[in-house]
Amino acid sequence: MICIIALIVFGILGIFSVKYRIIAKEAFNCVFKKITLRKCDTGLDIRLKSQISGSFLKFSPRLGRIAYKYFEVFSWIFLILTLVTLYFMGLGLYNYAVYGNCNGPQGGFCIYDPLGTTKPVNTTTEGSICAIPGHSIGAVLTAPKNITITDGAYIGNPQAGVVIIEYGCYSCHYTKLAEPTVKRLIKKYGDNILYIYKDFPLRGTHETAEPATEAAHCALDQGRYWEYREYLFANQQRQFDEDLKGYAKDLGLNDTQFSECLNSGKYKSLVEQTYSEGIALGITVTPTFFINNQSLVGAKDYSEFKKIINKELGISWWEFWK
Amino acid sequence: MNVLKVREDFPILKNGLNGKPIIYFDNACMTLRPRQVIEKMNEYYYNYPACAGRSHHKLSKMATEEFSKSRSIIRKFINAKSDKEIIFTKNTTEGINLVAKSFKFHKGDVIISTDKEHNSNLIPWQLVARQQGLRRERISTKEGFDLQHFEHVLKHAKSNSNRSFVSMVQTSNMDGTSIPLKEIVNIARKYDAVVMLDAAQGVPHKSVDVKKLDVDFLAFSGHKMLGPSGTGVLYGREELLNRLDPFITGGSTVDDTTYDGATFTQLPERYEAGLQDYAGFIGLGAAVEYLKKYIDDIHVHELKLNKIITEGLNTHVNILGPQDPKLRSGIFSFNAKNKMDHHEVALLLDSYANIMIRSGRHCVHSWFNDNKIDGSARASFYLYNTEEEAKIFVEKTKEILKMK
Repeated sequence: MICIIALIVFGILGIFSVKYRIIAKEAFNCVFKKITLRKCDTGLDIRLKSQISGSFLKFSPRLGRIAYKYFEVFSWIFLILTLVTLYFMGLGLYNYAVYGNCNGPQGGFCIYDPLGTTKPVNTTTEGSICAIPGHSIGAVLTAPKNITITDGAYIGNPQAGVVIIEYGCYSCHYTKLAEPTVKRLIKKYGDNILYIYKDFPLRGTHETAEPATEAAHCALDQGRYWEYREYLFANQQRQFDEDLKGYAKDLGLNDTQFSECLNSGKYKSLVEQTYSEGIALGITVTPTFFINNQSLVGAKDYSEFKKIINKELGISWWEFWK
Repeated sequence: MNVLKVREDFPILKNGLNGKPIIYFDNACMTLRPRQVIEKMNEYYYNYPACAGRSHHKLSKMATEEFSKSRSIIRKFINAKSDKEIIFTKNTTEGINLVAKSFKFHKGDVIISTDKEHNSNLIPWQLVARQQGLRRERISTKEGFDLQHFEHVLKHAKSNSNRSFVSMVQTSNMDGTSIPLKEIVNIARKYDAVVMLDAAQGVPHKSVDVKKLDVDFLAFSGHKMLGPSGTGVLYGREELLNRLDPFITGGSTVDDTTYDGATFTQLPERYEAGLQDYAGFIGLGAAVEYLKKYIDDIHVHELKLNKIITEGLNTHVNILGPQDPKLRSGIFSFNAKNKMDHHEVALLLDSYANIMIRSGRHCVHSWFNDNKIDGSARASFYLYNTEEEAKIFVEKTKEILKMK
């Protein structure tokens, strides 16, 4: 049994060092002979057994004796542990390739990505949403048809083959959490996509959701939507009228014009209309994304977006890694 | 012999391995080297790293002098008649091969060996016998050397007008037993046989006088007698050496050549083809100089160590060869009575206690096969081993054997 473990361990170490490659070769020879029902005559098994139990003997004669006598039992245990470890290692790699995180969709610390660079959003669908009171995920969503760009809350190429529509709420924590993913997608795919933000203020959940949404439109009036949007997400705890006006001032917007816009309820009906459209599509939570006809609900991993977009764009699997 | 003082000369014994002391009991395979030998070899590389006996410049002259001096030291050590009788080889194996391939045999000649020959003194004769139609005879040593059978073989060969060539191991590297050399040579002389000795385990441990032994050829290795590895010596009677066919030929072996022929040079260079390991042979001279100070005490010292170990372990192990340590010189070859594998014993001693011994068939596969024994563990001693080390070996071996 020890030869199988040696083959696995030294086979891996042998990738990096010649001296281990020699042992791996011996181990392979030994395993091959045993498989073909012949005696392992390389002496590797005896060498490893003696060296390991000899080392234990240095600490205590009893320990050495146990290691020597039950060496085969320990070898089996270690073989099983090695195989289990290899299985989980493989699973981790698979998850990393598919979900961008070695733990799969559930996220968490990943040894392959200790800095979390490919995992800006560490959440799952469940618990990664803000919902209209009394609702959760489960509604059947219909992808929006005949998309027309009615305001400036979009970025990308209007002729792009992939259209990403986000129904979000500026006061929703999970819409905020999805923001780095959105930014990363915009940066990576550039003119290959069109990103559109649609208002879905969760008024029953967040009391400042509606004014914040209207304020974003007022910033758009002055051509400063994206900066203001960033401000809103950065200050989700303080989105009352005075705060919203203060942010506009901070950004150097015309504060009189901004205040008038906000006080007059200029965009109330537009926001309401977009919200109703969302309801009609079956949306009850934020963030809800549509990538062409496919929906993604919640602050999901970047890799999940990438997988769908690559498929829509017809990007081959080897480019998937880029 | 002050063993503790001797040990001071061996860097590895002084420094240990990774700072930990070692017990080196693998001397039948290779001995350690004293500082004096290492320094002498360095002296060649530092001060006169040139060809000996070829060029005429100063460095070459210095190398030639040291190289020749070394040959003389070795000649004196075994009391050979002339430096011409000392041929430098790579090792004992090459010395035996030189004689086996170059001796002028006739079809039907008989090669006589023991049943405990090292592969080096077995395979060359198997090949030569096959190629030249020689007969091979094996003398049993199971119940001691069978002198009666030996004489019978010689007598039979002579009565058939065939010549006999005796090539035997002086002291077995497997179990330490020695052949009754005096009687063997006396009988061999009676029947005009040629006698060659594999003295790889003889010369390093006891004073050897080739004139007194009256042997025709004698081969030994430098690395088993404190000398550099890759050095060995073949002693041969001058008149016999002169009658050998050339072995390996090329540079240094000739006085002159034409496109169609060559005039071979004198002894010993005739059998030393190509550029020699000058540093090695100069180092071997230094090793012999060192060894000759202690050579008369080494055998007794080794017997003392063998006695301690035999008495300490004889109830735990089966000893290969006679039980009496006096008959096994500096070799203790054994198998555990509890059937613990000999490789395991050796490896455990190494990993647990830094005790280095050998395990396996010790290049005497034929004997192990014939006796249906897998192999053995072997401890072999030398002048720098102490009684304390022998006691530790006993104690640690017992501990290891308890593991099974």
